[in-house]
Amino acid sequence: MDSVFMRSPEGEVKEVEATAEKLTPLMVAGWHQVPAPVVANQKPVVAAEEEKLHGEHQ
Amino acid sequence: MANINELLNGWGFGKQTAIGTANLVAAIWRHTNLNTKPWAKVPVNEDDRAEIGKGHEFPTQLFRSHYNMPTYEISKYASSEFLAWAMSFSMGNVAVSGSGPYTYTIVPALGATNPTGLELPYFSFVQQIRPGGSAVLDEMLVGCAVKGWKLSIKNSPGRASAMCAAECVTTGQYTSPSGITLPAISTPHEFNAGMISALTFNGINYLSGGSAKQFVSMEASWENNFRPGFFPGSGSQDGYQIQGRFEWGDRVFAVQFVVRVQSGSTEYANLIALTTGTATFTMTRDANNSFTMLIQKMGFNVAELGNTDGIVTLQITGVQLYDPTNGLVTMTVTTPLQGICQ
Repeated sequence: MDSVFMRSPEGEVKEVEATAEKLTPLMVAGWHQVPAPVVANQKPVVAAEEEKLHGEHQ
Repeated sequence: MANINELLNGWGFGKQTAIGTANLVAAIWRHTNLNTKPWAKVPVNEDDRAEIGKGHEFPTQLFRSHYNMPTYEISKYASSEFLAWAMSFSMGNVAVSGSGPYTYTIVPALGATNPTGLELPYFSFVQQIRPGGSAVLDEMLVGCAVKGWKLSIKNSPGRASAMCAAECVTTGQYTSPSGITLPAISTPHEFNAGMISALTFNGINYLSGGSAKQFVSMEASWENNFRPGFFPGSGSQDGYQIQGRFEWGDRVFAVQFVVRVQSGSTEYANLIALTTGTATFTMTRDANNSFTMLIQKMGFNVAELGNTDGIVTLQITGVQLYDPTNGLVTMTVTTPLQGICQ
């Protein structure tokens, strides 16, 4: 499954499964796609679907 | 003298970096257009007839005023490429995934969180007739935006059964000659109404079950209602004021569709009961080309009895409600082209 990186209005960046079901609530809450972060010794990013997104941003 | 068939149209599939910064040629595609008119430039002059002190009421001088650019329609048979472009540029919040084909997920941007406020992405529009040393027309309009679109689905054969027209505006800024060598004409992956693979409105499935084969036509439209873009500092070209922004006003998303009436039709019941539900409209050409319009919460506003070609029908006017979690509508387009609105 493809994924994209999204940034919240507050600046938080998350890797998200690229499905309309996962992306829509985030985009409606003001998240926007950003390029994949380029970081040396990058740590794994927590998948967004494991989190309760709306509770965090409303 | 030139034949209108010689008119070449190209425009940015990628977005400009700023309203006054033209697309680079690498982000411009060339397409055919069912609108046979060029995009007119309309400079407006004014005079001094209202000023007293001349000894008479007649004008004596002309002054340059502004570029009053008309809207321009790009009219196409609906294709995965053009739908991705029209939806992305008209709604603003776009996420793209995949490595070919590419899937674009598009929702209407909100002013509170959109990085460019109430402004949508801009693109450049190139129109040429015999470009080169003796061009009849060669110009690039800079700072164009999609004001709205209309998606029409009809019960007719061929490409005309699925059409999309985008209405565009532009600032008045232009470059002539354009300096652009347009690429070869694109071959879009077009849909037709026979490719509809999901068609469920407010709980009524028009592809299978009791309501199968009852769907006649649909028109969906989006309107950004841009505010005028003249303001102090908006800019000028040739001494004429140009617009420096296009901010959306009260946006309108409208959907109307026509279905045949049969015993047990539930459209009336849904209207009277204020029933709401999702509406899903999908066209699938192949694994690389599809389009889905998912309306998150649709009710029926009007159900008007009539006839279409001698068959009793209902014309349904939907009302699209904003869902606090999923918003108004999500467009999902899969297409082979990378970089649309990027």
